[in-house]
Amino acid sequence: MDREHCRPIEILLVEDNPGDVRLTQEALREGKVRNHLHVAADGVEAMAFLRREGQHAQAPQPDLILLDLNLPKKGGREVLAEIKEDPDLRRIPVVILTVSKAEEDVLKSYNLHANCYITKPVNLDQFLEVVKSIEDFWLTVVLLPPR
Amino acid sequence: VELILIIGISLLLQFAAAFFAFRLIRVTGFQIAWVLISSAFCVMAIRRVIVLAQLLAGEVPHSRELATELVGLVISILMLAGVLFIGPLFRTIKAAEAALRQSRDELEGLVAARTEELQDTNARLSVELDERRKAEHLMAQYAGDLARSNAELEQFAYVASHDLQEPLRMVASFTQLLGKRYRDKLDADADEFIGFAVDGSTRMQRLLNDLLAYSRVGTRSKPFAAVECASVLSDALANLKPAIEESGARVTHEPLPIVRGDEVQLIQLFQNLLGNAAKFRGHEPLQVHISAELQDGDWVFAVRDNGIGIAPEQQERIFLIFQRLHHRSEYPGTGIGLALCKRIVERHGGRIWVESEVGKGTTFYFTIKGGENAPNGPRALSAN
Repeated sequence: MDREHCRPIEILLVEDNPGDVRLTQEALREGKVRNHLHVAADGVEAMAFLRREGQHAQAPQPDLILLDLNLPKKGGREVLAEIKEDPDLRRIPVVILTVSKAEEDVLKSYNLHANCYITKPVNLDQFLEVVKSIEDFWLTVVLLPPR
Repeated sequence: VELILIIGISLLLQFAAAFFAFRLIRVTGFQIAWVLISSAFCVMAIRRVIVLAQLLAGEVPHSRELATELVGLVISILMLAGVLFIGPLFRTIKAAEAALRQSRDELEGLVAARTEELQDTNARLSVELDERRKAEHLMAQYAGDLARSNAELEQFAYVASHDLQEPLRMVASFTQLLGKRYRDKLDADADEFIGFAVDGSTRMQRLLNDLLAYSRVGTRSKPFAAVECASVLSDALANLKPAIEESGARVTHEPLPIVRGDEVQLIQLFQNLLGNAAKFRGHEPLQVHISAELQDGDWVFAVRDNGIGIAPEQQERIFLIFQRLHHRSEYPGTGIGLALCKRIVERHGGRIWVESEVGKGTTFYFTIKGGENAPNGPRALSAN
């Protein structure tokens, strides 16, 4: 059995829209992989979670980060830059999950070492499909760095 | 006696010379010089008067000899001749000078007149220039205002459609989720209501997407480059492959030029026109023919089909955004396609119009600025 199947996968979703959070939860619930979804509603909270600051002192280090670009307080791009500059965090794969299709956003994200860039499909079925394929690829196909 | 005669003549000559020399003052100026010369002549003449008086008195001065007096006579003649000659010479010079002065004055007058004319013209021109500058300034201002308001409108449309997507996605997603999870679990009414909600929200999404595409023609456009229309056409056909295949259409084209434009937008233009042809086809197998012709420096493209046609009273409306001629159940779509075509063509400095007969077919014409004309060889493209 794979290591991933022995313990639940920790996923950090950085998303300010509760609707999207719920949809992601729904999609992941239907998935095959056992997972814990943690949610940070803005960039500041996301960094606090990753650095185990304040109320997040007990937070586990996530195996995968799903990051929206448009966030209050601290934007997704800044969060991405901080993660990729931090020697303890930069190995965590970051999936940009956003509505923006702007070439500029795509390019900037990859330049900041995003691991992949996905636009949120407008259609529900497609959205569920995308979340599932993220799960399939990053949690079963890909071999993640050891803890 | 000869001596007396000679002296007398010289004396007369010297007086005459003195007189004429004096008169020269009037002609030449040089007052002092002529007075001196004249007085010298007078002195010489007076001396001769004295000698003559002595001769007449019978005294013969030993110094006076005939030869000397002859020389004196000749000199006197020469002096008189000289004085007489100088007069006309000076007069001529004076006349020439006067003529010169007069013509110079005339010339100066002319120059002054011309200068005045030029100054007048200059003044008029500068007034005109001022006016023109003012007009240009105003025009630039209006153009700036217009561009700004256009940009704002485009920005508005873009932001509106972009930002409206987000909440709409929520409505659409959750009504869809509701439909998915609770179909047949509530009652028939609930299923119907959910169906309407899902239908409405998905349609709204399509409208917003189209509005976004429409506003993007202005905001997200690339600078113009040389574009090969033949490759644009084949790209458009490739994008439309399913629809074209389904309609069994035969698409042919004449040599197409290279134009300056935005390739992505031109592909979209051809795609919308061809897609329309496929959508509104008649009972006959669909035939679409594309041609381009250079007219007054502009390329006039024609996309001709043998579809259902458009009634004359509808031919204006079809280019307006979200105007539809058919019920959604007959022909789906938001009614953006031709409005988008119009916007793309207009952005390329051209215009678009339609000629059509109900039941016979439709030809869409649009113009694109010419310049580079290198038509490709004739080629028939078939979808099958």
